[in-house]
Amino acid sequence: MMIPSATTPPSTADVALLAFGNGAELAARDLYAVAAGLSAFSEEEKTVLVGFHDHHRAAAQALAGLVGSDAPNVREDAVYNAFRSRLDGSDKSAIYDALRELENTLVATHTSLVGTLDGTAGSALVASIITTQARHAAILALVAGRALNDALVNSATALTPGTN
Amino acid sequence: MNRYSRRQVLRFGGAGVAGVVLAACGKQANVPESENVVSVGVAPSKVTLPNVEVNDVVLLRTAASLEFNAIDTYEAALGLGVFTGAFAAAGDIAKRLRDDHKGHAEAINGLITKLGGTPFTCGNPRINEVYIAPALELITATDNENPALDVVVLAHALENLAAQTYQGVVTMLGDKALRQAAIGIGQDEARHAAVLAQALNPGLSGILPSVNPDTGKANVAAVPSAFGPLTPINVTVGPVQADGSRVSLILETPSLNSLAYDSVSCG
Repeated sequence: MMIPSATTPPSTADVALLAFGNGAELAARDLYAVAAGLSAFSEEEKTVLVGFHDHHRAAAQALAGLVGSDAPNVREDAVYNAFRSRLDGSDKSAIYDALRELENTLVATHTSLVGTLDGTAGSALVASIITTQARHAAILALVAGRALNDALVNSATALTPGTN
Repeated sequence: MNRYSRRQVLRFGGAGVAGVVLAACGKQANVPESENVVSVGVAPSKVTLPNVEVNDVVLLRTAASLEFNAIDTYEAALGLGVFTGAFAAAGDIAKRLRDDHKGHAEAINGLITKLGGTPFTCGNPRINEVYIAPALELITATDNENPALDVVVLAHALENLAAQTYQGVVTMLGDKALRQAAIGIGQDEARHAAVLAQALNPGLSGILPSVNPDTGKANVAAVPSAFGPLTPINVTVGPVQADGSRVSLILETPSLNSLAYDSVSCG
């Protein structure tokens, strides 16, 4: 059992960062919805894609809850557009690779946020999102038949709020 | 015949009793003096506990200690020679994950040095005592039918423990850059756990949470929830006992009694 520690609420600066996270998570949710609708995937594969879709939706909702009434609750189109064109066709491994890059990008972005956020309530929530999305990325490498190194290494670059 | 009043008898009697008590408390021949409070019997000498503080260095030293716990466990597992046949691939994974932990330990100890602290270069003694040593004893029992599988079960649990620890310390570290560094390693541990979960419960059905219809128990899942949990981790390993059950250990992230305080050393 870890030592309990009081968390501190988001600062004014935190709100903008967490709001960006909210939009990025909604973009990921919509991208998974596109992937899960592709005929290339079996029902069992779609179940996994929908499960990951639900995780991103939950992350977006949790971030919105922390931000409060300032939460945009609108997807970050720059993130969505960066990956949307790769979610097409019948090459499942290529689609899994695109989704893995999306997950790795979100992990890198959220990790960067943890180093910036003032309030620990925000950093605690984002940290719990990071460990789940890192698992997503590792699994997407495995189901695509990639090497172990691809599951374990994240070489993605973090997004910068307001510049994407 | 002397006659004493009742008052005089009580006065003399009280003085006599007080004298006996004082004599009992005073120095006596052949009895060593003690600094302890007077008591019946021999009291142990006083032990003064060091004043400890849970600060960023202590939290990082604790993280480093867990890295060495993982390194030692993978070394022990590889030394058992159980990764053969169907488990040959697990041996390759174990070597890779061990090497990752060596890198993590080096990175964490580098941060500790920058903060002016003393690097921690061995496994957490408390974690080893209450979790790892008992688990390895069960795994290596002569009547354990599947030590290779159990080693992977233990490794999976330790990776989850490490991921939870890094996730948990984010709210306790004072320096934001250290929080980022910690969760950067924590996400690595989460990947390790996902890969090992697939070794235990392979394929698409082992990714999201599911329940074994025969036992009613949860199957191992690579992605067990939408958010990283901070809950106790159940590990069932070792031989089947007379009643048909196997021993379960409950792993929890380090707490006040298992932190690598400045006064804790590897010596």
